[in-house]
Amino acid sequence: MIDEAERLPCGARLEELLAQVADGAPPQDEAHQSGCPYCQTALRRLRRAWTDVTDLASEPVNVPERLTAQIMARVRVLVGQTADFILLGHPRGETRVSHTVVVRITQRLARTIPGVVFASARVEPQNSPLPNRVDLSIRLVVTFGPALHRVADAVRTIVRRQTPRLTGAQLDHIDIKIDDITR
Amino acid sequence: MNGQVEDSILVRAAQNGDVDAFEELVRRYQTSIYRVALRMLGSRADAQDAVQETFVRAWRALPRFRHDSAISTWLYRIVTRRALDRIASRRSTGTLDEVEVEAGPDPAQAAEHQERLRAIRRAIAKLPPDQRAALVLREFEGLSYQEVAQVLGASVPAVKTRIHRARLTIIQQTSSWQ
Repeated sequence: MIDEAERLPCGARLEELLAQVADGAPPQDEAHQSGCPYCQTALRRLRRAWTDVTDLASEPVNVPERLTAQIMARVRVLVGQTADFILLGHPRGETRVSHTVVVRITQRLARTIPGVVFASARVEPQNSPLPNRVDLSIRLVVTFGPALHRVADAVRTIVRRQTPRLTGAQLDHIDIKIDDITR
Repeated sequence: MNGQVEDSILVRAAQNGDVDAFEELVRRYQTSIYRVALRMLGSRADAQDAVQETFVRAWRALPRFRHDSAISTWLYRIVTRRALDRIASRRSTGTLDEVEVEAGPDPAQAAEHQERLRAIRRAIAKLPPDQRAALVLREFEGLSYQEVAQVLGASVPAVKTRIHRARLTIIQQTSSWQ
């Protein structure tokens, strides 16, 4: 049995030798260790034993196939509980479209523009008597190359044209912020 | 969406309610988070539950995330707490799932190797929970002592002590040492 305070007959602490093997830490007393049969034997055995631990650590772990979907289903339930809606009036009933849906459609549209790597949108509250009228703010990450204002204009154009067509929302302001560029 | 977008941008977007950005964070970190849960709990079913709880909690708590640590550190902190809670409440099944590994060219040698790895898994499962958490973060996730301390909310010397103790116990269980 190994005791954590155990020392080898030469006085070297096993714990220090193990840190040397596991962490690649330098020896406490290199001159002693290189010529000490006790230390050399212990190091050999520790290295052999520790190889099994590193083998286990490098063993691939397969994430359950539907884990992302399960997580996101639970998150979307939470989002649905708190999301606001735009209201589309109709003589025979009303239709509500979640802000989350407006946002996701806007993001997808923005990401179709060449140069847009990432788009995140948000519906901004508006004090409008029209329940389907909203402002949008969009944040982008764009590749290096295209003129940023042209990318922003293209995003604004497609969103202004397509988001109302697909969601029934009426858009007022579309503010765009470019957060970062990538290679 | 691809890896070109930095975590901090995804986190800020998720803090603004962007579910797609959060999903990208889930995809980036679920493997690490699942690995920690699996190594700490020893059961795939428990690990899967713990990972789901971790990300749902993360979504709820995102508005309070202050960007003073990496998102990975924050997620490690949540999953470690979830796993420790499960261990404390004995909701863990206590049984270890086997990982299926293809046999190599020498089946006898592969079987012997697998038996040694099983012995290590069993030894990890018997460690005191605080040592287990520290060991898993250090040896399986490759975190520095400083990072492990940050995740566990402990001092670096305390974490080093836990890891050294855990290592000695593990080594003691391996046939390569005995």
